[in-house]
Amino acid sequence: MGWRADDELQQMLRDSAVNYLGAAGGPDHFRNVRASASGFDATAWAQMGELGWTGILLPEAVGGSEMRLGGVLTLAEELGRTIAPEPFVASAVVAATVLAASEADVASTLGRALALGQRSVTLAWQERRGTVGIPAFDTRLDGTSLTGAKRYVPAWHADTALLVAATSGTETIVVAVDPPAAGVVVHPARLTDGSFGANIDFNNVAIGEDAVVLRGEAADVALDLAIARGTVALSAQLEGLAGALWRITLDYMRHRSQFGSNLSDFQALRHRMVDLYSEIELAGASWRSAAKQLETGTTWGSDLHAAKARCSQVAQDMGRWAIQYHGAFGYTDEADVGLYIHAGLRWSTWLGNAASHRREALAAHRRKRALNG
Amino acid sequence: MADDFNLLSNDAFRDRWRMWLQANYPEEWRIPIIYRLAGDDERRWHRMTYEAGWRAPAWPKEYGGLGLSLEKQLIMHQEMEGHNCARVLDSGAVLLAPVLMKYGTQEQRDRYLPPILRGEELWCQGYSEPNSGSDLASLRTSAVLEGDEFVINGQKIWTTLAAYADRIFVLVRTNNDVKKQAGISFVLADMGTPGLTVRPIMNLADEDELCEIFFDDVRIPAENLVGELNQGWTVAKALLGDERIANGAPSLSRQAFDVLEQLVDGIGLTEDIGQTDRMAQLYCDIHDLAALHAQVADAAIRGEIDNAGLGLMKVLATDLFQRVSDELLNTAGEDAGLRTPVGIGGVELDLRKIYMIARPSTIYAGANEVQRNIAANMLMGTTAK
Repeated sequence: MGWRADDELQQMLRDSAVNYLGAAGGPDHFRNVRASASGFDATAWAQMGELGWTGILLPEAVGGSEMRLGGVLTLAEELGRTIAPEPFVASAVVAATVLAASEADVASTLGRALALGQRSVTLAWQERRGTVGIPAFDTRLDGTSLTGAKRYVPAWHADTALLVAATSGTETIVVAVDPPAAGVVVHPARLTDGSFGANIDFNNVAIGEDAVVLRGEAADVALDLAIARGTVALSAQLEGLAGALWRITLDYMRHRSQFGSNLSDFQALRHRMVDLYSEIELAGASWRSAAKQLETGTTWGSDLHAAKARCSQVAQDMGRWAIQYHGAFGYTDEADVGLYIHAGLRWSTWLGNAASHRREALAAHRRKRALNG
Repeated sequence: MADDFNLLSNDAFRDRWRMWLQANYPEEWRIPIIYRLAGDDERRWHRMTYEAGWRAPAWPKEYGGLGLSLEKQLIMHQEMEGHNCARVLDSGAVLLAPVLMKYGTQEQRDRYLPPILRGEELWCQGYSEPNSGSDLASLRTSAVLEGDEFVINGQKIWTTLAAYADRIFVLVRTNNDVKKQAGISFVLADMGTPGLTVRPIMNLADEDELCEIFFDDVRIPAENLVGELNQGWTVAKALLGDERIANGAPSLSRQAFDVLEQLVDGIGLTEDIGQTDRMAQLYCDIHDLAALHAQVADAAIRGEIDNAGLGLMKVLATDLFQRVSDELLNTAGEDAGLRTPVGIGGVELDLRKIYMIARPSTIYAGANEVQRNIAANMLMGTTAK
């Protein structure tokens, strides 16, 4: 549809993304990262640093560009379209939002390295399966000792910097933890987008005062915003992925002939493709609406939940029919379809899957309805 | 006449319209989805809005309309939805007037537009025929020029509110020897013309709004031709402003969802997990359709509109309206089998009627399958067939 419009800055970012990712991203890059031991391509990350992507939300003082969300989401869309396994959402959006809220030296140091693409940073916050929104943390910092267990920490690799959200007394605290420190036990697992996630146990890990990134209300606000931004960016990434997969599938259908016709000529298939296109349109409108709400200061309204629900669902739906319309070839590892489906699996289930966000969207609506009588 | 509404801010305009509705909209009409203004009620509505300076928001001022920006037209729609107003068809102002403005003669405009504005004359649209539903261009009702008259013979069907209409605009075949779209003309007729008879059809929602119309040597003046002879297919496509995106609005789905929430509250199903999940899906579908509709409206306000997209919005909106109404019956249990309204939590909810009213929405205004074909042609290229 003709309603998608970029402003000047977004157009610039999109051009830059299409240029870079067209040459260095896409299925081949995805396969390389998937085959690598670390699940992280430091060279690609550094190049994204040079392009200004890794510091896009960071303050200018640390070498970032302090951009608004609109530009971030344009990049997320394009990264989705090219199934980029880089930790853009985990690091440049979620962790960067936390770092940007802090005045501590440790935050500037990490922020500077992130803006340059020298390091990636990940935030360990989740402790249970299926958490949507920021919970109270069972991981505790008592005095200088951190104890607890984090689950589903994204973008894990040996050189990542690590931020941990915990409870200290009655308040929330975010600290930087050196992964090799004594008492940190990491259980990494390969994810379907080729990157690694990790469950991490903290057993009386020593934390110095200089490792504190944020505490109290500032920590609560930053974490809330970080996960909300991450959720909408991930939604944009999923929609980009679904749109690309729709296009790839159509191209295949145009060239594959059966019973004397191209697959793209069969009405039953055409109608299904139109319905998928419509669902992708809904997804694109939904995350934009969530982004608008987020920019006006509402983090966890029904818009954000609806967006992640829709974008997660459409990636899975598109994946299902992409395999079907590629026929048996779509079931091979050689076909690129499977790469999109694998990336979609990871992204659609991270930060809350479709079903849980749908429920939350309704719950948010009901709260508002009760409030309005 | 009121002052220029376009000079007001959107918020001020919205407040003004809302306050007017609150003060003037007849209480007995506030039955959303179910009630549609017809006959004297419709005339009264047009007259009320005309006298208060709210009539014909999309019409240019030179024709006596408000010449409102698309944005403000959409605000009017939103507020009417919010006030639980009845549906209005307004075929004269919405469907015929744009045609007359674009293709009509000055005489035709002078004669027909003012009575539409004042609510004095209601029109109906004679397009569909028994054998020309989705394939409208195959229509066969013929008009033959004899001297300074057309003689019309044939039959129209599914003509909405024809029994209440004063006049009809009709697509007729004036040439059988050319490609089917190229032999159609657009003509106007008085409903009282000898040989023209109307027979209402009872539908599944117990309404007799849809009619059959028989033309038996109906003679109309040749000057009732709008546009050129055999140009009717093109002429019929003229539309104004908001009407191009109205069919994709989430209004009916949203109103049906309100009823669903009342029902769920009334029965006490808010904690039921299955019910909650089904409602969550519908809620998100409505939410996202509203988001898409707003985006498309914004684009239209910028002057960017695409027809495949609008067709798809219609498919989404009507399919969703049906699914919400399906869920109403799902939720009501045995009460879904009642022919009468269901009394729950102190309110009467006519679930069957809502369910039935949702049925034809996927058929009229271009059946959803046809819309999918059109969209597929634009998105995927046309097929060899």
